[in-house]
Amino acid sequence: MKQSELISVAEDWFQSKNWKSFPFQKNTWKAFLEGKHGLLNAPTGSGKTYALWVPIVLQYLKENPDYKTKHQKGLKAIWITPLRALSVEISQAAQRFADDLETGLTVGIRTGDTPQSERAKQKRQMPDLLITTPESLMLLLASKGYDKIFKNLTAIVVDEWHELLGSKRGVQMELALSRLKTVSPQLRIWGISATIGNLEEAQDVLLGMDSEFRKNAVLIKANQKKKIEVRSIIPKKMETFPWRGHLGLHLLEEIIPIIKASKTTLIFTNTRGQCEVWFQKILEKHPEFAGEIAMHHGSIGKDTRLWVEQAIRNESLTAVVATSSLDLGVDFAPVETVIQIGGPKGVAKFLQRAGRSNHRPGEPSVIYFLPTHALELLEASALKRAVKEEVVEDRMPYLLSFDVLIQYLVTLAVGDGFFPKEIFPAIQKTFCFQGITEEQWKWCLNFITLGSQSLQAYDEYKKVEVTPEGLFKVESRQIAMMHRLSIGTIVSDSMMHVKYVTGGFIGTIEEWFISKLKIGDSFVFAGRTLELVRLRQMQAQVRKSTKKSGKVASFLGGRLPLSSQMSKILREEMQSEADHKRNTPELKALSDIFNRQEKDSIVPGENDFLIETFKTRDGYHALFYPFEGRFVHEAMSSLLAYRISLLSPISFSLAYNDYGFELLSDQYLDIQTVLDNNLFSAEYLYDDLQKSLNSTELARRKFRDIAVISGMVFQGYPNKIIKTKHLQSNSQLLFDVFRDYEPNNLLYLQAYRETFEHQLEEGRLRLALERINSQKIIWKQCEKATPFSFPIITDGLRAKLSSEKLADRIKRMTLQLERN
Amino acid sequence: MHLSSLSVVLSLQPMKEIQINSHHFTLHPSGAIFWKDKEMLLIADVHLGKVAHFRKHGAPVPANAAFQNLEKLTEISNYFEPKIICFLGDLFHSKLNEEWQDFEKWVEYTKAEVILISGNHDIIPQYLYEDLGVKVYDELLLEGFHLTHHPSEIKGTFNFSGHVHPGIRMRGVGRQYLRFACFYKTLNGLILPAFGNFTGKHVLKPSVNDEVFAIVEGEVICVSKKIQN
Repeated sequence: MKQSELISVAEDWFQSKNWKSFPFQKNTWKAFLEGKHGLLNAPTGSGKTYALWVPIVLQYLKENPDYKTKHQKGLKAIWITPLRALSVEISQAAQRFADDLETGLTVGIRTGDTPQSERAKQKRQMPDLLITTPESLMLLLASKGYDKIFKNLTAIVVDEWHELLGSKRGVQMELALSRLKTVSPQLRIWGISATIGNLEEAQDVLLGMDSEFRKNAVLIKANQKKKIEVRSIIPKKMETFPWRGHLGLHLLEEIIPIIKASKTTLIFTNTRGQCEVWFQKILEKHPEFAGEIAMHHGSIGKDTRLWVEQAIRNESLTAVVATSSLDLGVDFAPVETVIQIGGPKGVAKFLQRAGRSNHRPGEPSVIYFLPTHALELLEASALKRAVKEEVVEDRMPYLLSFDVLIQYLVTLAVGDGFFPKEIFPAIQKTFCFQGITEEQWKWCLNFITLGSQSLQAYDEYKKVEVTPEGLFKVESRQIAMMHRLSIGTIVSDSMMHVKYVTGGFIGTIEEWFISKLKIGDSFVFAGRTLELVRLRQMQAQVRKSTKKSGKVASFLGGRLPLSSQMSKILREEMQSEADHKRNTPELKALSDIFNRQEKDSIVPGENDFLIETFKTRDGYHALFYPFEGRFVHEAMSSLLAYRISLLSPISFSLAYNDYGFELLSDQYLDIQTVLDNNLFSAEYLYDDLQKSLNSTELARRKFRDIAVISGMVFQGYPNKIIKTKHLQSNSQLLFDVFRDYEPNNLLYLQAYRETFEHQLEEGRLRLALERINSQKIIWKQCEKATPFSFPIITDGLRAKLSSEKLADRIKRMTLQLERN
Repeated sequence: MHLSSLSVVLSLQPMKEIQINSHHFTLHPSGAIFWKDKEMLLIADVHLGKVAHFRKHGAPVPANAAFQNLEKLTEISNYFEPKIICFLGDLFHSKLNEEWQDFEKWVEYTKAEVILISGNHDIIPQYLYEDLGVKVYDELLLEGFHLTHHPSEIKGTFNFSGHVHPGIRMRGVGRQYLRFACFYKTLNGLILPAFGNFTGKHVLKPSVNDEVFAIVEGEVICVSKKIQN
């Protein structure tokens, strides 16, 4: 069949379904059939599955003209999805098309949920299309004879590539693709990504840096615009509106009419803790919703989550309070309205959530924004602009992630083994490892074979062994098994199962939260008040509590900083406020606060950098407003405090939020000396940051993931906690040992690099400093705390910078020894 | 670190002198205690062989870390010149491995008599120790002092023990926390910190009568309220 004939086969099928193909679908079909690789930029629910599944089938028809009578067995395509939950829908869609065309093609799913018997069956006879996750794909590479499985692979499609890109799962994917390029000569690589700021880079990361390979690649954009309408929930009385806070419960009554007016409402919160509280409070104030509202977050048991998802689909729920666990994936047609509580901190996330509502074509998606404190209204105003102007964030790919590389090398060694000469060129062509040096490569090989030591006569280190022919291979069955269990790059906190004493699984919760509870304490989790009865290994056994309230389960992480794109728009909004335009309802509502800010200080314009100083009984406050997000402020405040402390001995207490930061001291601080000494300079940034921050502590936290991913810390066999105890160490201990005995270890150094690049956003900090240096600095000596300063100076999260010796500090900390 | 530089550091390290039942003890920042009256050095939880054990199972802990344990032992016994060195259990972490040979050499080298109070990790057969001239006991009662691996109580005696790897968590301004290994003294006993460098800590929460001596950057500092100075 010619290409045009093939395309019309697909077109006919679309017609039989009363659909019409979109131009982007047709373009993708053609490009694929011409043998091209590419990245497809298309949103969820736009028909992206058929954009790539159709040409895979058509290619098969082309190569097998007698397909109706003779089925050519073997794996032809792999579909990677980051979420297991999405695999069923993709499989159904794919199977439908394959069946209607009477191709005889089969579709199979292989994820962590797939039973062992099914996997074994797949190993004997692979389906034609395999839907799987990056981790399960890696596991296939760890099996013997994998090259035969992939020999006739014509396509690999990486769905939701934007989700994988900014994480180590992306690196894992890059490495897997580098291997498949070699073992599957007919392979086409395709990615599907939602709109992000750096689509071209996303394509580089997916396809690699080999220019020969890249010549044959395309970027296709769906250009399907979706109208989004943002409505802010503005409190009627602004005077009583808090200046800080993060729950937003005072506006609870405002959302009740919205919930009642629509079929199904999704209420998005930023953290699991906030989700729990909102769910509790809605039910407490409006018991009439009992049975009609539900909760969905990542710690709740899978069965409950699936039940909630199903209940949304069959319209049996009025509202669901959720976290980012519902951001992705499955379409919920009945959702009419979405409410966002608190600033989403990023445009892409906000758009993704808005897109969950109303799938009727032509009609806009409506999202309500509920601010949790006054200044968040400014964020609302900025979000509206961002939506209108289609601003989206970048996803920053990881570079030189040696931990993932080491895991990959051991994976290959567990499978058929590898010759370094053969795979190194492929690794060098990945985006992540384009800068790897020969020396670093040798270090990695040495690490997996000799435990990074030079050859010592009696060292018994065992992991990967080298055969006389030079093949790198794992011979020990135990090491192979331990490695297979450890494949993956998502390292979660130590979690405990929460179960009823009578049986019945409720969910999982961070171990550190449970460790703070005493037996008999009650806590709120999964919408229930529970009493802790006893702890059994990694299980917290509970019963329903008769108490009304308890500690709300708190969870680590979740609080995201303002993205740089959001920051920029926020500063522009500020400018419009400084110009007294007040042209949005949000800015109008904020007029009282802004008037007071104007009176006590100023509202800084786009080109102003505001510094405020004032004295309270806490001491001398100095406030700085870069509007760059919490992480950048954390780093910048330490940097500035450190540089000031070089001028004269001084101790600071530091505080920061998304808008600015504070240096608090018991001594008067002359801002003029800060300005005269050019302390916002971007010069010597890296060195000064190293000295100013407790970078060791930050790196130690990063090292945890690195130690697990690179296989240095074994997390144990599932359900066999005791047996491996003699081999369990923690990453903290390892970190210290490396610091003292092997400070040039690449994995140890990687922890520092990740701290600076990903945690402190060094690049963004540098740009922010350069911007400040080009701005007009306005120093206001104020009488008292200003509206802008209030949320910062009352923030409980404080750090301290001091040049004192640790031992001296401990002597002073004596009084604060924690007692029972 | 080489031997020479290590000795400089050790001799400069501030120690802590305490008295228990009119006997004199020196708490050393290495985690060892020198019992002056008996010229006996008490050392708990060295966990020799642990590094090699991990390496053998594919966890690349730096091999140097193992070597350092014996260097530290040598250094501290040179410094105090004790008559007896008493290990309070968990001298070896695992089965026999390459680190045993280094230990043999060390025992040969040291002038002091070596005693081991057996701990839960000490699974190496007793006769192998005895071949080296190391006496092995389950516990030892000496002038009203009771030496054990697990903390224990006998009325009228003061107990020295290990096993716990005691640590202490200190709270600073602005939600800062720091963790340190410590000597942990209750009314009738003292738990020594782990001497080995690849051992970890178990954080204890002291009650009012406990005394805690934290090891902070090579210095022994009393951090409990009771005997502040």
